Amino acid sequence: MLDTDKLTKKFKDTVAVDNVTISLRQGESVGLLGPNGAGKSTAIAMISTLMKPTSGDVRLHGKSVLKNNGAMRAILVVVPQKIALYEELSAYENLKFFGRIYGLTGKKLEGQIQYVLELVGLSDRQKELVKNYSGGMQRRVNLAAAMMHEPEVLIMDEPTVGIDPQSRNHLLETIRKLNREQGMTVLYTSHYMEEVEKLCDRVYIMDHGKVIASGTKEELKGILSEEETVWIEFDKSYPKLFEKLGQIEGIQHAVTDEHSLKLIIPKGARVLGTLFHEAERYGAQIINVNVQTPTLEDVFLRLTGRKLRD
Amino acid sequence: MGAFLVKDIMLLLRDRSELLVLLAMPFLLIAILGFSLRGIFSGDLEALEMDVAFVTLDDEAQAVEAIQNEIDAMGIPQADAEALKQAAAAISPQTMLVSLLESENLDGLIPLQNMEQAQAAEGLEEETVDAVITIPDGFTEAALRNMLFGSGDGTELQMLAADLTSPQAEVLNSILEEFVGTVNFEAAISRLAGGETVTGAEVAGGVETITARPPISSFQYYTIGMAVMFVLFVGSTIASQANLEQKQMVFDRILLSDRPPLLYLGSKALAASLIVLVQLILLFDLSSLIFRTFSADSWSFWFGVAIISVVLAAAVGCLAALMTSLTLRLQSDAVPSIFSGGVIALMAFLGGSFMPMGGTPEILQTIGNWTPNGAAMSAYFSWLLEPEAGNLAGPLTRIGITALLFLLVALAVFPKKGEVL
Ligand SMILES: Nc1ncnc2c1ncn2[C@@H]1O[C@H](COP(=O)(O)OP(=O)(O)O)[C@@H](O)[C@H]1O
Ligand SMILES: [Mg+2]
Repeated sequence: MLDTDKLTKKFKDTVAVDNVTISLRQGESVGLLGPNGAGKSTAIAMISTLMKPTSGDVRLHGKSVLKNNGAMRAILVVVPQKIALYEELSAYENLKFFGRIYGLTGKKLEGQIQYVLELVGLSDRQKELVKNYSGGMQRRVNLAAAMMHEPEVLIMDEPTVGIDPQSRNHLLETIRKLNREQGMTVLYTSHYMEEVEKLCDRVYIMDHGKVIASGTKEELKGILSEEETVWIEFDKSYPKLFEKLGQIEGIQHAVTDEHSLKLIIPKGARVLGTLFHEAERYGAQIINVNVQTPTLEDVFLRLTGRKLRD
Repeated sequence: MGAFLVKDIMLLLRDRSELLVLLAMPFLLIAILGFSLRGIFSGDLEALEMDVAFVTLDDEAQAVEAIQNEIDAMGIPQADAEALKQAAAAISPQTMLVSLLESENLDGLIPLQNMEQAQAAEGLEEETVDAVITIPDGFTEAALRNMLFGSGDGTELQMLAADLTSPQAEVLNSILEEFVGTVNFEAAISRLAGGETVTGAEVAGGVETITARPPISSFQYYTIGMAVMFVLFVGSTIASQANLEQKQMVFDRILLSDRPPLLYLGSKALAASLIVLVQLILLFDLSSLIFRTFSADSWSFWFGVAIISVVLAAAVGCLAALMTSLTLRLQSDAVPSIFSGGVIALMAFLGGSFMPMGGTPEILQTIGNWTPNGAAMSAYFSWLLEPEAGNLAGPLTRIGITALLFLLVALAVFPKKGEVL
């Protein structure tokens, strides 16, 4: 129902979004995964008619929305990356305002406010000022405000930044419910691959403004079918050793975490022997070795040689 | 638009520091400037030198004769009548006034020149004289009648000055005021002595009812000056709110709701106007209540003030719309912060909020007259001095023209429906 065609946005010296072509089918839940600065927010701004593309097109049911954006605005709602609320007003007052600008009044307005508060689990604290809420509660009201307009398409831009685990679970659960039970089409942007893996049927992976891979989770992980992820935990950090291991022949990508090392190697490559040998030479103690099933994080690593998050 | 308006006003009411700037600050400044400059106004005699034309339209001899004839006709005992007639000839309120103005205490700072009315008016026009004191026709007769018979409304004097708000004019006016007060007070005393039942309050009232033209007091000056200055801050308050809405992406939400964006702009203008009205009402009323700045007894006076205030409020509404448009277009809070950080002070200075602009170069005065605050200030002053609708036409038209200009630019700059910034 919603497609972009070679969507491109250039700022003075950066190409924030570079020939991005994506599509959303009705009722689908699609993830847009990419590190900070990948161009996710810029892409969303163009899709939601808030920013003019430098080139390319956005189409709703095959019709361009660049000239006439009313149709798009009528069915879509965006949960912005920021807490797009009035801090000095209560949750209730915020929802009332956003409901009224969508034309709701009277009983209908009141009913919708209570429905969305219920949805995000904040009914009992609706009278408190938004500025006094925790980050997680603010994020929930941020979603609730969007739901005052009953949209067909819900676009969310990193809705879980700065949030406690409990609120994050609640939020993800809410979005899943909206998608599965109410058939809402969801475009979900994040740099947390766990969230996208959990929530989305299909995923686009973005980096430096470009879509570098797309497909269902299984398809994406298929990229790694010829590879294995080996995860080795040491007793402490050995920077020199880690560097050395990354250069062993046959190892395609290596990233380190404090005490551990993650390697992507071709299936059947015989590198473990060399690896243990090197560790011994450095006097490093191996605590744990694990050959893992790949995650989207690993896919990103494989494609870019970098981690999603630093 | 209702939703927007409720929101804009609620946001302002919740913002303590903003309310402090809009209401407490001007009030504090009125108090400080009102008190401290009152001292300077009447204390600094050196600065008081001014050329005063003295115009007499009153025939003293004829007045004395008329009064004496009246005494004869009253049919009171011969001796009493003679005493009254002598008093009528001896009192000479005119001489009293001249000798008061030329007295030793004033040290010859107010040299009087006798002039014909036309000549004095011309002098005022050409600025060869600073003020004209006019003794109106019937002055002596009214004074004598009041003092001797306790009848009539008392004396009246007229003062015209090139700049009625200057400290010199202020002092001269208070001297005249005191003189008229004394004359009328003595009348009250003599009536009391004459056995009529006059209560103390009424005596005091007699002193208060001075018919000389009211001067502009330091409190009046600064109540008006600070009020017209601080309403301008509403413009920057509203515009920085718009900037916050844009930064926090609330404005994106509003755009996506696909309401006509003009409702948003209109609400900003209307909210600003309403806030300005409340601000003006509170400042004028509080100042009158606490400092007795304006007497509350004249409905027509307050009616005029209300009209000027509504026009000023509408102008600030247009200014707020202009600043909101620019802020959204530039996607930065530069406009409101430059405005509140310097432009307001400059406009207030040019408009005369801090001191009368009488002695400054013509060009500054012209610019000041075209600022909404400066124009409103002269409207308030001329209404205060002479409540005639004709006096308001000039300044109110100037405010109207600038407001319209603000509004047109605001509309031109503001994003159209569906337009993307
Ligand atoms: N208004 C803008 N002006 C100039 N550069 C911008 C602007 N918005 C975003 N960018 C740049 O475009 C790139 C993509 O940004 P963004 O879309 O915010 O990425 P993401 O949302 O994936 O973190 C970044 O390099 C960012 O610095
Ligand atoms: Mg972003």
